[in-house]
Amino acid sequence: MMDPLLMIGAVTVAGVLIGGGVHFLPVGGAPAAIATATGVGTGTAMLAAGSAMTGLITAAAMTGSPLWLILAAGAVGSMLMIGITMLVGNWVYVWGVGTVPASAKVETDPLTKYNQEKYVTPGTEGHGIPTVCYVSGIIGGLLGGVGGGLAYWAMYESLIGITSFATPLKYVGVELVPAAMIAGIFALGLFFVNAVIASYNIGGTIEGFHDPKFKRIPKGALACLIASLATGIVGVLIMNGGAF
Amino acid sequence: MSVAAGGGSESAVNPKMTAGIGIVGGLIGVYLTPFHPVLGPLLASLGAVCAIIWGADAIARVASYGLGTGVPSIGYMSVAVGVVGVLAGLACGVMLGNVFLGPILGVILSAIIGAVIAILGKKIVGMKIPVLLTGTMELTAASAISVIGFSAAIAGGIGMAPIVSSVVATGFIALLFIMNTMAIQHPFNACLGPQENRVRTLKLAASTGFISMAIVGILGGLFTAKGAVIAIIGAIAWFITIKMFLKASKEEAASVAWSGMWPKEEEL
Repeated sequence: MMDPLLMIGAVTVAGVLIGGGVHFLPVGGAPAAIATATGVGTGTAMLAAGSAMTGLITAAAMTGSPLWLILAAGAVGSMLMIGITMLVGNWVYVWGVGTVPASAKVETDPLTKYNQEKYVTPGTEGHGIPTVCYVSGIIGGLLGGVGGGLAYWAMYESLIGITSFATPLKYVGVELVPAAMIAGIFALGLFFVNAVIASYNIGGTIEGFHDPKFKRIPKGALACLIASLATGIVGVLIMNGGAF
Repeated sequence: MSVAAGGGSESAVNPKMTAGIGIVGGLIGVYLTPFHPVLGPLLASLGAVCAIIWGADAIARVASYGLGTGVPSIGYMSVAVGVVGVLAGLACGVMLGNVFLGPILGVILSAIIGAVIAILGKKIVGMKIPVLLTGTMELTAASAISVIGFSAAIAGGIGMAPIVSSVVATGFIALLFIMNTMAIQHPFNACLGPQENRVRTLKLAASTGFISMAIVGILGGLFTAKGAVIAIIGAIAWFITIKMFLKASKEEAASVAWSGMWPKEEEL
């Protein structure tokens, strides 16, 4: 069984990674949904839900492997999901709405050095997902996926040593391990808590690491650290429920 | 970003009343679960519906100040906290040797995490919402009661063992997580705006709660007495409440409010 303090520490680190990762996502919110701001046209909670669940499924598929493999699997799952979301979003913005992916927060794209100003429709704050936002979003997926995988691993390793959580149950012919499901739902809960705190910190919308709002990341990371610590301490109590 | 940003307007519904319905109705429903194999789970799911109505009112009070992140985000966060808190509370019940302590401890732990998040939001992130602390605590507590209520209805008991084996291990907990979030956040998300009428919002909250209850009945086994009773009563109650909501919406729609209902053909 895992040391409870190690579990709390791992969950806290995971929370900071998740909360930090959210700051990298191009969250456009409602303005982006009508193509008047850069980013994916939905809120943080939705982007987090998509990438967190994919990341957790890929991380859980590696259950029993070494820690680095679980973290890598979680990261790849989250990065893929957020990448696909941004790509398909861009198709809609380019061919559906008819706008050029451009950011109004910078004059030239910091990565490609392409001019942005000329392509921003007057009266809007940009539209679509330009290269810098895309790369930033992939970094966000990486951090979030590693965080989610770490939280899953910590909870799973804590519970798998307890007989009543490790004994598989039969349900309509499928063998289910309670420890894996508890770890999964705990990691998902942790993901949402940190995603929303980070979202409060950025005031709802952000473009990526080139956005001036990105400078708020230390505050967001501190808030996520404390919140994850509290969640981790409550999570440790779950281990004591194995005596049934 | 939020169109709801006006905040603090007088609500047509007393917050103490919805909180009372949620706490008293919810906990009575949950605690009566073990006493009858069919009526117990039915009462537990009705308790969860009470908690959903409370949660919908709490989210309306907090989100009317404009969170900047949309209404759903705080709903997801609260139910996430509720799920973690409930599992920890049930485990505490096992640890202390009394299963009846589990649900109430789960609600208390959820409210504590909710308070921590709200204090962080105010002190570190710098959010300027006066009711953030009480609102988030109410919301996380309501989420916890709704999760434990539906879990008890599916499992037919309130101990850690039945809930882990029939709700958590089967993966239904993930469905409850999303479903309860939708039931709690959708009413205000759909009804917000300058003409928001809390009575109408809560009618929608009752309908989202009851349709969730119907789904919980199906999860509990549609071909067993317990599941069938929950599903049928939930579906009937959903039908009644959604009709009430549609009627209220039509009555308050602008043209009708200005000129009254148009006359029937024979009156012309």
